[in-house]
Amino acid sequence: MLPLTLLHLFLGLSASLLGAFASDHQEETVKGFFGRNGTSQSTHTNNWAVLVCTSRYWFNYRHMSNALSMYRTVKRLGIPDSNIILMLADDASCNARNKFPGSVYANPGRHLDLYGENVEVDYRGYEVTVENLIRVLTGRVEPSVPRSKRLLTDEHSNIFVYMAGHGGNEFLKFQDNEEISAFDIADAFEQMYQKKRYNEIFFMVDTCQANSLYSKLYSPNILATGSSQVGENSYSHSSDKDLGVAVIDAYTHYVLELMEGINKTSQSTMQDLFSSIDPNKINSHPGVRSDLFRRPLDKTLITDFFGGVSQIEVVDEEEGVEEEAGLAGGNGEDSVSSTATAQARSFVIPGRRASRSKRHTEPISSTSTTTEANEIWGWVGSSTRTWGAVALFGGLVGWVRMRS
Amino acid sequence: MDPQNDLAIPSGLRNPADLFFQKETIRRTIIASYWITILLALPLWWHTTSIERLPLPEARVYHQVDKPISIPVRLCLPQSNTDLSSRLQGALSARVPKGLEVVVESGNCGTEKDTYVVSPGPKKIVRGRHLTTPFDDLEGLTQTIVSLVAPSDVEQEKQTRVAQFASRYRLAFSLLNEDASSGNGVMSWDVQKGIHQQIQPLLDVLKPLHNFTIESQVQFYAPLEFDLRPTDSGFGLSYEDLTVFINSAEWTLSSSASNDPVLHFILFVPSASHTPLRIIDSKSSAFILPQWGGVSIYNTPSIWSTQQLSDRGLQRAFSTFSTQLSYTTWHSSSPEDTGLISQWQLDALIRRRMLETAKGTRDTLRSFIKLANQLENMPVREDVRNDIEGSLDALEKLYNSASTSLSQSFAYSAEAFNLASRAFFNPGMLALLYFPTEHKYAVYAPLFASGLVPLFVSALRELKAWKQQRAQSR
Repeated sequence: MLPLTLLHLFLGLSASLLGAFASDHQEETVKGFFGRNGTSQSTHTNNWAVLVCTSRYWFNYRHMSNALSMYRTVKRLGIPDSNIILMLADDASCNARNKFPGSVYANPGRHLDLYGENVEVDYRGYEVTVENLIRVLTGRVEPSVPRSKRLLTDEHSNIFVYMAGHGGNEFLKFQDNEEISAFDIADAFEQMYQKKRYNEIFFMVDTCQANSLYSKLYSPNILATGSSQVGENSYSHSSDKDLGVAVIDAYTHYVLELMEGINKTSQSTMQDLFSSIDPNKINSHPGVRSDLFRRPLDKTLITDFFGGVSQIEVVDEEEGVEEEAGLAGGNGEDSVSSTATAQARSFVIPGRRASRSKRHTEPISSTSTTTEANEIWGWVGSSTRTWGAVALFGGLVGWVRMRS
Repeated sequence: MDPQNDLAIPSGLRNPADLFFQKETIRRTIIASYWITILLALPLWWHTTSIERLPLPEARVYHQVDKPISIPVRLCLPQSNTDLSSRLQGALSARVPKGLEVVVESGNCGTEKDTYVVSPGPKKIVRGRHLTTPFDDLEGLTQTIVSLVAPSDVEQEKQTRVAQFASRYRLAFSLLNEDASSGNGVMSWDVQKGIHQQIQPLLDVLKPLHNFTIESQVQFYAPLEFDLRPTDSGFGLSYEDLTVFINSAEWTLSSSASNDPVLHFILFVPSASHTPLRIIDSKSSAFILPQWGGVSIYNTPSIWSTQQLSDRGLQRAFSTFSTQLSYTTWHSSSPEDTGLISQWQLDALIRRRMLETAKGTRDTLRSFIKLANQLENMPVREDVRNDIEGSLDALEKLYNSASTSLSQSFAYSAEAFNLASRAFFNPGMLALLYFPTEHKYAVYAPLFASGLVPLFVSALRELKAWKQQRAQSR
């Protein structure tokens, strides 16, 4: 009896195991066809990039070229212009001191013009302010800001945030005018997390003492890296003898060197990126903050953040043919009524658009009337004041004259 | 000021004690007036430098967001079989997701508006709110009803392809010729007809959920940015090629006039040198990019330019678009779906979106309160508070009306969601930047130190002199 039951048990177990294994295998082949190749376990469906150059003036040429070369890289790897927010002071290419006007180069040999064509700068010149950056990140923009200047991310978006400029311990200088502190950046990311505006963020900073800028972050799913530790400076890489300024920063230069070998389907990981930067060559010690990041760095692909790669699903076209049959046959009542009214509908579509745009601008009109009222009152007030002052002055002069 | 020193003042000169700018009272009045001005100005300074933070209805928010929502689903079996109905109710309650409450009655049906009637029959037919299905076993019956009432979307990949809920959508239909000059360009298409036949019925059905705006365009040169790999019968696209197919750098796909989310539908005509273009290992030549839209590839049958896309091509393209649109606006996995959705599925979709927006509203309100407490520098103004109150009111109305009318309660939940989002993204709520104490000192000290020091010193001196006088006059 016993050996028989044992045999049955053994057969039963092995059968179930085989069954489980077989279905696993099948599932894997199916997943392998439809799923992404490689070992990435990312759950994002779109990619965005926010590239900020926080300095202006000719001698900060290299910060401009940092941001522009990141822009080119990110575009080459597939993120479209509509998903990139580029903030530049934009005063280098058409500067009077630029010997090669209309172009920005990132290497002394002037091999590749970063600026000449197909560049879309979203915030330029004096629009690059701390307030605008925080508004873009948190989504609290004015209603009149156009779509290309908004960060329209959702909870499946991976965002690459790159900042270059002059910085210090826990702050970054914006256009010689104001500063953004590490606390502000941490609060902005926290607000993005609360409203589920990102899946993962990769935050890269290339300034002096850059590692302090990400030290205050506290929201999950953020991977941060900086070019130098607290107390260290970040140095520029090389300068062009004709232009007379440094054209690229060292940290960004080596990052870009690695990125040149990456294309859209590359399987290189973030660990490769971080290990490829040699502190001796850039004369500073880059840092990485990955405690808030839930995936291991050697399983995170570079194209998760830099590329515009997305998941695809192939749709069976034959269903469409069957659909027509279903349309005509099965739900007969619905289709008849819909075709009858669809005729009228198709002409209403432009009208519907107009009514919708009106609805969209309603909240704007209410505030505009109050500001108009304020403006009118202000104008009246200022003109009476000026004329009153002139009259007073004239009266005083006249009185003095009359007395003497 | 020394009373004992009685000077005889020669004529022509005046007693210094009588000069008005040496009189004590005048001097003290002047110093006091400076101080009174400063004291009066303090409230003004406080008011202009404080951040306007109106109190938020926190308690109400926490009370509301913790309330569970339950949407009733009423089924009715025409034959009076209380045993079957109670067993069915038990089985269904175990299977439907949280938030739905199933009530199965038996006997007299047709009394209430939103009741679903299930009657036995030889095969599965769905018509309106009526289901006819064989009543063989409880499990099969439960399975069928669950697949109609609450189609489950467990698989991760399928879940990310359904677009987020938004009250307004733009649909952008594009006919892209890879290179119309290569000989096989399609110059135009009768997009109105295609929309009218295939897309409009779907939009009409989805009208209670979303508002759609439609735009369309034709482009004659839309190159691909990667090289195609040749196959035996033309050219093929592998999976990696599909992921990078959209050449957003050079294709302008939608107008940026509004901020509504856009779903793109592209009909791509490969150039003569790249025809026919197929997807490797697949019969179909259409694919979806989740949350973005869909692409369909049309290989022209012959190498000459056509003025307008053929009827057959148009029909095929738009039926594919219709499928893709249905996949991105809802996830259909029920075995009975026959294209245009039935009332069961529409109700299931409305319920799903209602649960999604209600959950989204609760999350938004909760995180808004948390943020407002966490960031002390964040101003909260009148309009933000009104939006929060409006959203809470709509949520309350939703809870009250969830059991009566489905479309009305969906309207409330959509309104609550939009108001909560609008409050959260209000541009006036920018958290003022972080100012450590050293910064505040560094800003105020140069402005006020040079003015305040003489005031303090002179006041102290006057006080000392006054005390001395009083002591001496005693």
